[in-house]
Amino acid sequence: MSLVLSGMEALGYGIASATERPPELTGGAKNTKIVILGAGLAGMTAAYELSKAGYQVQVLEARAFAGGRCQTARKGFKHTDLIGHEQTCDFDDGLYINVGPWRIPYHHRSTLHYTKAFGVPLESFVNDNDAAYVYFEKGAGPLAGKPVRKGEIAADIRGYTAELVAKAASAGALDAPLTGLDREKFIAYLVNEGRLSKDLAYKGTEGRGFSVNPGAGVNPGPGKELPPYAFKDVLDSGAWKVLSSVTGYEQQRTMLQPAGGMDQIAKAFEKRVGPMIRYGAVVQKIKQSPSGVTVAFKDADGKPGEVTADYCLCTIPLSVLKQIDLDASAPFKAAMSGVAYAPVNKIGLQMKTRFWEEKHHIYGGHIYTDLAGINSISLPSTGWQGEKGVLLGYYAFGGEAAKISAKTPAERAAFAVAAGQKVFPEYADNFEKAFSFSWHLAEYNLGGWAEWGETGRKDSYPILCEPDGRLYLAGEHLSYLGGWQAGAIESAWQQIGKIHARVSKA
Amino acid sequence: MIFAHRVAGLALVMAALTPAIAFADGKSLFLDNCSACHQPTGKGVPGAFPALAGSAFVQGDPKIVMTTVLNGRAGMPSFKDDLSDADLSAILTYVRSSWGNKAAAVKPADVAAARAAAKAVAKGRGLQAH
Repeated sequence: MSLVLSGMEALGYGIASATERPPELTGGAKNTKIVILGAGLAGMTAAYELSKAGYQVQVLEARAFAGGRCQTARKGFKHTDLIGHEQTCDFDDGLYINVGPWRIPYHHRSTLHYTKAFGVPLESFVNDNDAAYVYFEKGAGPLAGKPVRKGEIAADIRGYTAELVAKAASAGALDAPLTGLDREKFIAYLVNEGRLSKDLAYKGTEGRGFSVNPGAGVNPGPGKELPPYAFKDVLDSGAWKVLSSVTGYEQQRTMLQPAGGMDQIAKAFEKRVGPMIRYGAVVQKIKQSPSGVTVAFKDADGKPGEVTADYCLCTIPLSVLKQIDLDASAPFKAAMSGVAYAPVNKIGLQMKTRFWEEKHHIYGGHIYTDLAGINSISLPSTGWQGEKGVLLGYYAFGGEAAKISAKTPAERAAFAVAAGQKVFPEYADNFEKAFSFSWHLAEYNLGGWAEWGETGRKDSYPILCEPDGRLYLAGEHLSYLGGWQAGAIESAWQQIGKIHARVSKA
Repeated sequence: MIFAHRVAGLALVMAALTPAIAFADGKSLFLDNCSACHQPTGKGVPGAFPALAGSAFVQGDPKIVMTTVLNGRAGMPSFKDDLSDADLSAILTYVRSSWGNKAAAVKPADVAAARAAAKAVAKGRGLQAH
């Protein structure tokens, strides 16, 4: 790695994921053979870097295609879940839904390392949109069960709060806690933050929107500002739950996505490591000896096969791996049980017009809702002003996801459309086709991502981060970037670094 | 749809046999929350989701069973944020006494105790994950 740290890192203000580039595997591979299980992002990252360093790499992939969870459903994409629901995506040409990962925080530099290196074009992913609606039913008052723009809620609750505090500070009521601070500067901040008038009152603000927009001449001329909602109504609605001073670390406002679907990343890897991948190879047994690892598999025709290598890097999710005949120590196997996997549902809904843009002026972003089983409805950050679009009709986790996934694909779509209709009057009329995906019902995944509890993270996780004999594990589940592609990539980087150090020493 | 199903199931049982309300509610709660993976038959999906019917684990120490559902384990999701003590006790009572299973009922107070012991206090779910 360069000795000269880049910009903000040099100043100690780094926010990016810990590792920004692959380990340098110098000094030769000594004819070492590595078998990699799984051609997801962790497996393909390892295959790419190890083969570049001279290792002999063979990848076994259960599916007929590479990418793991990095999948994009578009016309012709087929998926049969473990309940037996068969779906073939029938979206119009050019439309798609990312059923797995769908956004890249700007600070996931490991993922961005490969999109840059492989020339995968990126576009903006709108992860925050003040114009998007919040639809909360479970609150109280006139705003409950009503779509309200997020910017209006933000302006009002912050404005009223700033007014309260500013007036209290101005009257000297906060002098004790403000000891040592500049009271006038504090009030100035509140005026700025809440967009208060000179008399420290919040009376609404132009940034939250107009009933008649400003325009030309004298009519509409200056337009007509929307009045603020009442403080009590905003508070009672619960819609403020979508607001925080900054986003969570993983939910940055600035995000990116590959143009044309997240699977462009998988395809870019596949272009480089495809010849090393054996598709349709379902691992049956992993056997270790003092000198190597033998992996038995069934091929696409059901015929048995075997691969023997010096080391094995296994990226199979723990939910799946625990059901495979595995030759590992008792503590290692016990540790594999220390993790839960998240039920995760997504559904893409093809709409015949982009009414959210045309009628509601919402370009990308999320409609947050407390509707059980929906959680959020997300509008596409691509294909602006096109004829049609595919939106994400629900993105739900946990028990709510488990419930909805028991339905047939047609019932899931009906459920999603009925919910969306509560937010957009045009929803049901515009709905054309759906494609739904439940990760816990996906064979070879059995869950959206690993969920480590406090005990599992402390007792089990560290054991699995170290090799067991000649077996190394990698994947999002062995990172603190769980469920993110960056977690898969950086875990692979860490483990191949360890393998290479061992090979170099031997 | 789910709600209609639950109400219908409940009404049917109330008419027939009042003491079995908890049992019937357990069935509808099971169908609603668990059947996508473990299947309405309790037979699971081989190689993916374990069978509950005839399972020694399910009919064994209720504390371990409760902790597994609350916190998740070995790929099984955590339901601590989704199921109340009353709901989980009804589900486990149903599972432990259906499809030929013959294990003792689980009371809401048992779940409350298991929840406290396993530090599985329900928390609100975040709006976004990944």
